[in-house]
Amino acid sequence: MKSYDVVVLGAGPAGLAAAITSNENGSKTLVIERENKPGGILKQCIHDGFGVVRFGQRLSGPEYAYKFIKEAKEKNVEMSFSSFVTKIKKSGEKFELELVNSMGMEKVKTKSIVLATGCRERTAKQVFIHGSRPAGVYTAGTAQYFTNIMGYLPGKECAVLGSGDIGLIMARRLTLEGAKVIGVYEAKPEPSGLKRNLIQCLDDYSIPLYLSHTITKIFGDERVEAVEISEVDKGMKPIKGTEKIVKCDTVILSVGLIPENEVAESLGLKMDPSTKGPLVDQDLMSVNMGGVFSCGNSLHVNDLVDYVSESGEIAGLGASRYTPVRKTHLIPLNKGKNLLYLVPQMINVKSKNKKVILYFRVKSTTKNAEFMAKLGNREILKRRYLYLRPAEMKRIVFDLPSDLSDDSELSFEVWEVNRERDHMHSVSQRMRVKNR
Amino acid sequence: MRVEKIESLLRKKVSKNIVCSEFHSSIVLEGEVDKWDDVIRAGKLAADKGYKGVVNRIRVKGLEIPKMKSPTVRDGSLEGKKFDVLIIGGGIIGCSIAREISKWDISIALVDKEEDVGTHTSSRNDGVVHPGIVPPPGSKKAFYNVRGNKMYTRISKELDIKFNRKGSLVLYDSVYIKMIKPLIIRRARRNGVKVHFLNVEQAKEIEPNITGEIRGAFFLPDTGVLSPYKTTIAYAENAAQNGVKFFLETVVKSMEVRNGKIISVDTNRGKIYPKVVINAAGNFADEVANMAGDQFFTIHPRKGEEVILDKKKGWLLNSIVSKLTINRRSNTKGGGLIKTVDGNILIGPNAYEQPYKEDYTTTPKGVDEVLNKHLHTIKGLSKNDVITYFAGTRAATYEEDFIVEKSEYVQNLIHVAGIQSPGIASAPAIAEDVEKMAVKVLRNYMLVKKKSNWNPTRKGIPLVNSLPYEERKRLIAQNPDYGVIICRCEEISKGEIIDAIHSAIPAKSLDSIKRRVGAGMGRCQGGFCTPLIMKIIHEESGMNMLKIRKKGGESYILREETKNSLRRIKAKEKSGER
Repeated sequence: MKSYDVVVLGAGPAGLAAAITSNENGSKTLVIERENKPGGILKQCIHDGFGVVRFGQRLSGPEYAYKFIKEAKEKNVEMSFSSFVTKIKKSGEKFELELVNSMGMEKVKTKSIVLATGCRERTAKQVFIHGSRPAGVYTAGTAQYFTNIMGYLPGKECAVLGSGDIGLIMARRLTLEGAKVIGVYEAKPEPSGLKRNLIQCLDDYSIPLYLSHTITKIFGDERVEAVEISEVDKGMKPIKGTEKIVKCDTVILSVGLIPENEVAESLGLKMDPSTKGPLVDQDLMSVNMGGVFSCGNSLHVNDLVDYVSESGEIAGLGASRYTPVRKTHLIPLNKGKNLLYLVPQMINVKSKNKKVILYFRVKSTTKNAEFMAKLGNREILKRRYLYLRPAEMKRIVFDLPSDLSDDSELSFEVWEVNRERDHMHSVSQRMRVKNR
Repeated sequence: MRVEKIESLLRKKVSKNIVCSEFHSSIVLEGEVDKWDDVIRAGKLAADKGYKGVVNRIRVKGLEIPKMKSPTVRDGSLEGKKFDVLIIGGGIIGCSIAREISKWDISIALVDKEEDVGTHTSSRNDGVVHPGIVPPPGSKKAFYNVRGNKMYTRISKELDIKFNRKGSLVLYDSVYIKMIKPLIIRRARRNGVKVHFLNVEQAKEIEPNITGEIRGAFFLPDTGVLSPYKTTIAYAENAAQNGVKFFLETVVKSMEVRNGKIISVDTNRGKIYPKVVINAAGNFADEVANMAGDQFFTIHPRKGEEVILDKKKGWLLNSIVSKLTINRRSNTKGGGLIKTVDGNILIGPNAYEQPYKEDYTTTPKGVDEVLNKHLHTIKGLSKNDVITYFAGTRAATYEEDFIVEKSEYVQNLIHVAGIQSPGIASAPAIAEDVEKMAVKVLRNYMLVKKKSNWNPTRKGIPLVNSLPYEERKRLIAQNPDYGVIICRCEEISKGEIIDAIHSAIPAKSLDSIKRRVGAGMGRCQGGFCTPLIMKIIHEESGMNMLKIRKKGGESYILREETKNSLRRIKAKEKSGER
């Protein structure tokens, strides 16, 4: 049985970054990729905008991926393609993986694992669309594969459900290929995608965006013939009497991404219901299974690939440094009411890593927002934002206070600051936090 | 009851606009009513009143029921062809009959209007092989169900299909059960079905995750589960191996009947001349009977919806769990939670009358009804675990019993109709009897001998992901394609997909591959593997990508090539353009 220090699952942007880092740090590293090429979903993302944060360039997906693929190849990172993990289990202090590929079956051992398995798209059935089951209903990612990898147009008259980024990008892509996009329908009262995509993908091509609207029914037995569009109320329930039937031959879905964590679950990792990824500490290691690290979109769904790579590097370094005798004492990051999630969810007080890269999202749009972290009652971090939107993930780097101890309490809050009564308001908010 | 009496009953209870008459030995209802429920009510009232069957032609004012969906293909490939036996319908009934009759040295054809076998009711059910306690003693349902259930032990081995006989648990939460307990015991004894009464602890030994207020349960050890579409396909493949010719996307349009005998059957591919015709047309069996001038029953499609949960939660259930509801009028066993042979939990079905035989649309109401009724029976299940849902229609007659008989008026026609639940459980037994009937009729016209080389065994596509490590390794060494995973959610290999494409009833569409090997059935619902499977179809069969369909008809996946598709670029390069 082959033995490694670090095995990385997935050769997308997170996995490649993790593998390069762990390899560079001197660990014997193996990347296992179920597809036949590295790059993950970037392979089909031929639009630009990747790498602005990291490289200061607007790269296409394949260009961004190529930078990492090239580096991994130059540094001889071992990669196994078209390989699929069928089983994974803890065996003593190590992990044992069972792989299948066209060469047969193989077992490998490793000290630590980096999960970089990405995410999948939510399907029509998972958002409870009803009606018939014709051809012509595709997730945006599938439609993107058809168009960009295979060179085929999946439809001529498309309705897009959901204003997630891939949906917006596909609305533009299909338009460029000569299809008509009749509209983007979003059940929420605000769009899910990035502002820049709303402008560059919809406004610039006069594609209408209908907020608080959803597809309630699909018509057509063989191929999609029409959809029923309904307005929805605040609880996102369709309003009776607002139904409209619109002709189209394709429904493109961009209704959310779900981290792929089947491997994590089979290992018994504790999961965060709000990120749908594992609960991790600042080294991105699972809080209940030492040696298992998570990064990229399998940890939580990112907006920007730059941060996917960043988290890959953190996880790769953590995995490379990991020893089973590592000391652990975890304290939770308590999140306030308006915070949807915080990653990491916990801090390992014993970790040598005192620099925390924190990713967060808010639950609802907040204007003039203040983000604050406190150790006990002491303010350790404060940031102001003109806007915080659930659609936009934020990143903060901060140093852990030197007086952090095993029974410290770390809490995080976001609130709206009223300019005129700025001071008063934040004081009263703080009081409330205290009283809780 | 005389026709006049039934008419006055219907006029009094349903509508004044109903007219009744007699045809052969059945009663015919005509007229116009306000709603579909009235049509059903009239049909039910007229049933079992001394006539063989009810032909219900009552219409609903202003309601246009669409005609049967037919394939668009037109060719003469079957024109003038002669067969000893023609089976109409490729559901589990048609396919199991085809397999049994293929023992005989005769020419057999099976036609189905869809692009694959088992696409309607046979793939739109929960796959439960019922033990046979529900059908009334003495009914055809009871007779075939109990016999068919037993036969699956052998059939599943011969056809290499998964069949789990783990029994079913019927929970009850009411003390009233004590009153009906003797009835259950009596019914079980009369139908020849085993039943055990369990207390809560014993029930929890079988299903540890049942919750809610439960007073006890009864356990039916003979209940089994199989994949209804894989079973149908297995029957069809075995039949095809034994010489049965399958003509798909072939629809029967009319028949020529002379002197009480079917002379020819007209299809979209030409006129066929069969010696014996078997009507196994499922929801359309009444229309096929009518083509032969022998309609004595009516199929009223009773719809049901079912929900499938993620395999991740499969471990919460071992067998089948349902709750006893004391409701005499109910025409379904009430549905429940079923652990499928693939390892998912399937929930449902509900049951409601509606006029459309091929309306498989799901509704929020139906799916919610199913979930609300059953989800809480097992601890740990939630609405978030739903990966998909589907609908089907039961081919019910007003008499609510199976019709398995030689026509009284057409000498070379056999009807196998009204096969609703427990149709899957009954199919093997029905097929055996129909085989005998058909041979008997055929002997009026020709000498019939058994084949010397009939092969009852069929080898299925290997279930690669469930093979032991070493065995899987060996298989991949023989064929590396078995090591290339295409469907990541269900762990299905390229080799299995290729096997499906080249099987005895070749899979040509995405859905037909899905039914054979399960690719695309998981939590991503084909999001990742659809394009990859299309490439394999293209490579294996040479089919143009634009011609690949999801299912039959015009269900093409793709519309056209993109402006800069590889093919177009190559073509431009060739012609010297830039």
